[in-house]
Amino acid sequence: MATLQGYVDHRVLLILQDGRAIVGVMAGYDQKSNVVLSNSKERVYSMDAGVEEIELGLYLVKGDQIVLIGELDEALEQSVDLSTIRAEPILPIRY
Amino acid sequence: MLIFSVFKTLTDQKVTVELKNDLSITGVLKSVDQFLNIRLDKIEVFDEARHPHMMAVKNCFIRGSVVRYVQLPAEHVDTQLLEDATRREAAAQGKR
Amino acid sequence: MDPASSGIQEPFDLIRLSLSERVFVKLRGDRELTGVLHAYDGHMNLILSDVEETIVIVEHADGVPEGQATVNVAKRKVDMLFVRGDGVILVSPPSRT
Repeated sequence: MATLQGYVDHRVLLILQDGRAIVGVMAGYDQKSNVVLSNSKERVYSMDAGVEEIELGLYLVKGDQIVLIGELDEALEQSVDLSTIRAEPILPIRY
Repeated sequence: MLIFSVFKTLTDQKVTVELKNDLSITGVLKSVDQFLNIRLDKIEVFDEARHPHMMAVKNCFIRGSVVRYVQLPAEHVDTQLLEDATRREAAAQGKR
Repeated sequence: MDPASSGIQEPFDLIRLSLSERVFVKLRGDRELTGVLHAYDGHMNLILSDVEETIVIVEHADGVPEGQATVNVAKRKVDMLFVRGDGVILVSPPSRT
């Protein structure tokens, strides 16, 4: 079973169907892969400026909006200066 | 059920998952469930320079519904076995 | 030929009889595949080998009248490919000519 067990209390990156990227600590999840994040922030990517972080706080994401959940490596996270990153936003899902 | 079983036989193999948002992620298949949700380890994103979003991500959970393709290791897929299993499953469905 | 004697009574029979044959698959997003069919299920999830994918990219430049857009075709090959059924528009058996 490809569960989300093991991600609870870890810092994760969520990529959503509309292309948004949200980081936060996974507080919990359920059978439908609905996810609750604490201390969450949206990361807004653009080619004109570095990554902008928008505080979202405690956030519930519906499972059907989720594309991917990745576990963030803290050491790697700290080695990256987000203000230097220039990238197009992730594309939305197209069926 | 058949495809789920195929993926289970490929755990610990290297696969490339292409998503419907054009992201392409290579990694070691750690687990799969009946929705074909996939857990990948030791991931690499294709064209990381253009897609730095997942730089600090080493393993991930991918929702089955957003997968377009999965590139499989051909040497670990027994095509004869697959065809026989597919015929058996088709026959079983026909009887219902 | 009588449909019963050919063994084709329902659409999936046509796919079953294409197992281990080269098929043509049309997908959403202006993608097409040809490959040898090894497995499928009721969702039309497929497993194909020796696959060639063709993607048609139509670029609608501003000010260019409809029907005069540039069409780019990208091709690539994959050894063994799982195709998720929700993207499948049609599966066509090999031509028997």
